[in-house]
Parts: sequence; structure tokens; C-alpha cells
Amino acid sequence: MRKKCKKENLLPYHTIKAASNGNVEAINEVLRHYEGYIVSLSTRRFFDESGNLHYCVDETLRRRLETKLITKILDFKIA
Amino acid sequence: MEQSSSFETTIRHQFDRICQLVLKGEAANYFKHMDYRRKYEVLFSEMSEKEMGNLFTMDDYETEHHLFQVLGYDIEVRDTLIAEALKNLSEKKRTVILLSYFMEMSDADIAKKMNLVRSTIHEHRKRSLIMLKSILEDSTDEKKV
Repeated sequence: MRKKCKKENLLPYHTIKAASNGNVEAINEVLRHYEGYIVSLSTRRFFDESGNLHYCVDETLRRRLETKLITKILDFKIA
Repeated sequence: MEQSSSFETTIRHQFDRICQLVLKGEAANYFKHMDYRRKYEVLFSEMSEKEMGNLFTMDDYETEHHLFQVLGYDIEVRDTLIAEALKNLSEKKRTVILLSYFMEMSDADIAKKMNLVRSTIHEHRKRSLIMLKSILEDSTDEKKV
């Protein structure tokens, strides 16, 4: 069951190929695909003066992750 | 070139894995970097005045000072504005000002050195100060314009 779910979550082959060749549309699609993961990684916990817990997306980290992902997409070689 | 679908599936899995690892690794790097900064960096606003003072040195060049030679004394004047104003005074008046304010000599001592009466020195000093005041005011006015 879990395997099937994972399979549906994968990006189609042609998108991967196009993205690694530098197609802007395809790269945007990859970014959209990983958007949720990026946001969850860049969500940080903050405590305010009265000690309440806040969750907040660290925009710097989000940007950094996106940039890194793009460089790695372009590095990706289909063996 | 026809590629088998199992090959494509492998690539898709590889790509997904690489992307996830990249994101995770980059996030880890970011937090490591934040830890590093917390450990070694201090905010200027949180530093004490003394710590701030240790951060810089001012270069001190003797050529930037203005040297006046008066009765065998070498007197350094560090403020350019004041030095320029002093140069506008007559020699006697300059001598009196320099000796009384830079060497901190009393009027009587200066009178002895210059072979003059004490009251003359006093008069010189009073007039020189008024002149200096007007010269300095003129030069600061010019700067404003």
C-alpha cells in the first residue's frame, strides 16, 4: 500500500529529463513537487516573550533550499 | 532510443532520493551554520562600551599635527581647525595662547619668559581669544555653506 502511494508521488520521467536539461517549466514543476517538503524543513519553532510556541517559515532557509535544489537538478545526469 | 520503463522508474526513484537528500542536507548545513554564528558572533547592540572600544584603533600620524615652535618649546596642535585659526594670529598673541592653554603656564610665568608685564599678557590673551572665536566661527560658517 505504502509502496503504491510512493510511486504516485514520483515525478514523471520526462519532467526529470527536461528539468536536468534546464527547461524552466520542468524545473518549476520539480520545485512545486518538493514545495511541501521544503516548507516543512524550513519551519522553525519560536518562543515569544511570554513563552508561547510559534511555528514560522524561515524565508531565508526556504530560499536557500530552493536554490540548492535547482543547482542539484541541473547537476543531475540521467545515467 | 527506446528506454525500458524499469529504467525510467529507477531514474525517477534516484531523482526523488537525490532531491530529498539535498534538501535535508542543506537544511542541516543551515542549522549548523546558525549554531556556529550563535557561538562565535555577538551583536553590536549587546556589546559593552569597553568591548566596542577594543575593536578599532585610530591611526595617529605626526604629519597631521601642526607643530608650533614657541620660545624653545615644540607644541603640537592636533585640531586642524584650531591650528589654522592660530596661524591667523600675530606671533605674540599666538605665543601667549599656546603657552597658556597648551603648556598650561600662568600669566606671570609667561610674562617672565617674554620679558613683558603680567597685565600685558592678560590683555593679549583676552583679545586673542576674542579673535580666535571670530575666526573659528567664520570657518565653521563657511563649512556649513
